[in-house]
Amino acid sequence: MGLEIIVGIKWVPNTTSVNIDPKTGTLIREGIPSVVNPHDLTAVEMALRLKDRYGGRVTAISMAPPSAIAGLEHVIGMGVDRGILASDRVFAGADTLATSYVLAKVIEKIGDYDLIIMGHETIDSSTAHIGAQVASWLKLPYIYYAKEIDYNEKEKSIMVKRILENAFEIYKIKLPAVVSIAMHTYEPRRIKISNKLRAKMENLIQVWTSKDLDIDVNCAGLRGSPTVVSAIDFVPKVPRKNEIFNEKDPRKAAKWLIQKLIEEGLLDP
Amino acid sequence: MTARRLCSEWTEINPDEYRGIWVYMQVDDGEINEASLQLLGQARKIADELETYAAAIFVGYKVKNLAKEAIYYGADKVIVVDDERLSKYTPNLYGDIIYRLALKYKPESILIGGTMRGRELAPYIANNLRTGITADLTMIEVNKETRDIILIRPPFGAWMLAHIKTRDRKPVMGSVRPNVFPTPEKDLSRKGEIIIEEVKEVIDPKMELIQYIPIKKKEEIPIEKAEIIVSGGRGLGSKEGFNLLKELADLLGGVIAGSRKAVDAGWIPHEKQVGQTGKTVKPQLYIAVGISGAAQHVFGIREAKRVVAINIDPDAPIFENADYGVVGDYKEIIPALIEEIKSIKKTKK
Ligand SMILES: Cc1cc2nc3c(=O)[nH]c(=O)nc-3n(C[C@H](O)[C@H](O)[C@H](O)COP(=O)(O)OP(=O)(O)OC[C@H]3O[C@@H](n4cnc5c(N)ncnc54)[C@H](O)[C@@H]3O)c2cc1C
Ligand SMILES: Nc1ncnc2c1ncn2[C@@H]1O[C@H](COP(=O)(O)O)[C@@H](O)[C@H]1O
Repeated sequence: MGLEIIVGIKWVPNTTSVNIDPKTGTLIREGIPSVVNPHDLTAVEMALRLKDRYGGRVTAISMAPPSAIAGLEHVIGMGVDRGILASDRVFAGADTLATSYVLAKVIEKIGDYDLIIMGHETIDSSTAHIGAQVASWLKLPYIYYAKEIDYNEKEKSIMVKRILENAFEIYKIKLPAVVSIAMHTYEPRRIKISNKLRAKMENLIQVWTSKDLDIDVNCAGLRGSPTVVSAIDFVPKVPRKNEIFNEKDPRKAAKWLIQKLIEEGLLDP
Repeated sequence: MTARRLCSEWTEINPDEYRGIWVYMQVDDGEINEASLQLLGQARKIADELETYAAAIFVGYKVKNLAKEAIYYGADKVIVVDDERLSKYTPNLYGDIIYRLALKYKPESILIGGTMRGRELAPYIANNLRTGITADLTMIEVNKETRDIILIRPPFGAWMLAHIKTRDRKPVMGSVRPNVFPTPEKDLSRKGEIIIEEVKEVIDPKMELIQYIPIKKKEEIPIEKAEIIVSGGRGLGSKEGFNLLKELADLLGGVIAGSRKAVDAGWIPHEKQVGQTGKTVKPQLYIAVGISGAAQHVFGIREAKRVVAINIDPDAPIFENADYGVVGDYKEIIPALIEEIKSIKKTKK
C-alpha cells in the first residue's frame, strides 16, 4: 500500500563562488562546508507530502564520497525513512552519464519503487541531466518541473502539473516514473533532532559499493564518462572603464554617477 | 594509444562513420523557437569548418511547412518527422524519435536549445545513445584534424572556462541557453534538401498530455529586450529590496532583473535571471546592485553597453567588470539616485 518513493539528493559545496588558486589553477575547496543541494530539499519535501497523503516509504539515494552520509542524515531528520549511499573509489570523476548509471543501478537494486523524484538541478553543476538519464537507463516515463503531484492508487498513475516558460501542462503518467520538481515549489520542512538521531541508532543508512551493485567498472567514474575536461582557460574579460567612486556621501555618489550617465547619453538631463 | 575497455552498456560504434551537425528544432504553437534558429547559425559554422552538412530536425505534427524556414537560416538538410501520433509532446516519445533518427543517420553532433523543454529532452536522447552531453555551453571549437568538437562552458565558480571533449562516443551533444548566440540572418536564396521520414511505430510513452494552460503574462518588456536594466543580487538582503530597484527602473524607463542568488532566494522569478544559466541581456545600461560579479553572472552582461555596479564591498569582482562603480550601501545610494533624478526631471519641467 502507499507509494514507494526514491529521492535523489546530492551533497554540494555551500557556495557557487569557489575560487581558484591563481598559482596552481586548482579549485580551493578547503573550508567550504557542504549542504544537501537546496533544490533536492524541495524534492524531499514533495516526497514527504506524498507520503503524508498516501502512505508508503521514502528512500533517499546519493552517489558521493562517504562525507555525504551527513546529507542523508539531514533528510532522515526531515522524515525520510532510510538512505542509501553509493560510494566507491571507482565512482570518482564521473560525468552525468556515469553518475546516472550508478544511480540507476542503485534503483534497480532497491527494486520495489513507484516514483523516483529528483531536484530541479544541482547548484554546483546545474546540468539537470540526471533525471532524464536515469529514466533512459531504466526505460521509464519522466517529466521535469513538476509543481503538483496527485496519485491515483487504483490506476497506479499520477497526475502531474508542471510549469514551462509560459504555460502549465498537466500530464497523466503511469507508474513507475521519474519526476523532477520545479525549484521553490515548497519550503522544505525543518529537521527533527529525534528523527536525525534515528539515522545512526537504527542504522537507517546503508553504503553500497560497486561490488554490492554488480557494476561494470568501465561504466562508472572517469572510465564510464565520455566527457572529460580537456583544457581550462580564463574567461576573456570584456574591457570596461572601471571608474570607481569611493567616498562616504551617497548624494555625492549619486551626482557623480548621474553626471557620467548624462555624458554618455544614457540619461536625458 | 592502447584501446581502453569501454562500458559494456555502450553499443559499439565507429566514430568515423559519423558526419553532420544537427540541430533539433523546437516548435511552439506552430513557430520555430528562437533558440533553435540561433543554433542553426552555429551548426552552419562548424559544418563549414569540418566540411560536412548542417541539418535541422523537426519532430511533431504539421511541422512540415517549417522545413524551408530552417534552410533560410542555414540548414543544408532538413529531416522531418511529421505524424499525427506526435501531435502531443512527451519527452520520451520525442526523445525516442530523435534517438532513432540519430542511429540511422549518424550525425557527429546534436545541438539542442536550452529551453525548459530542450533541457528536458537533450539528456534523454544523449543517454539513449550512450554518449556525453554538455549543458549550457557558451562556445564551440573544432579541431579539423581530429574532428573533435570541443564544447566550452564556464564551470564551477571563478573565471575559468572548461573545454569539454567527448571521447570514444558520437554524436557530441550539447544544450545552449537562448540568446547565447545571435540569430543568423535569414537568407531566402538558400537551397537545401528536405527529407521526410516516416515512422512505422512510435513507442508507448506511458504518459499523456491532458491539458495545456498558457500563462497570461503581464505586458512587460522581457529582460532580454530591455534597454535599461536594474538588477539585484543577494546583497539586497530581502525581497523588499527589489521595490527600491523597481522604483529606480520605472524612473529610468527600464526593467528589473536579478542574479541567481536572488532567484534562488525566491525574490525574483527565474525568467528574470541574468547569466549563464539565466538570460543573456543586451541593454544600453545595466545597473548591478548588491551583485558580487561571479563569472556566471558577468557572462550574461558581456553584451551590455555600459555596466554600473553598486556594492558595499570595494573588492567585489563586479567592479572589475563595470564601467562605473559606486562603493556603498544600496539602501543609501539608490534613494539618493532616485531623488537626484527626480530633481533633475523637475527642474527640466
Ligand atoms: C553552473 C553554475 C551556473 C550559474 N549560473 C548563474 C547565472 O546564470 N546567473 C547568476 O547570477 N549566477 C549564476 N551562478 C551563481 C554564481 O556563481 C554566483 O553564486 C551568483 O551570481 C552570486 O549572486 P549574487 O552576486 O547575488 O550574490 P553574492 O555573491 O552573495 O553577492 C552579494 C553581493 O552583495 C554585496 N552587498 C551586500 N550587502 C550590500 C548592500 N547593503 N549594498 C550593496 N551591496 C551589498 C556584497 O558585497 C556581495 O558582493 C551559477 C553558478 C554555477 C555553479
Ligand atoms: N550524485 C547524485 N546522487 C543522487 N542524486 C543526484 C546526484 N546528482 C544529481 N542528482 C539528482 O539529479 C538532480 C539533477 O542534478 P544535475 O543533473 O546535477 O543538475 C538533482 O537535483 C538530484 O535530485
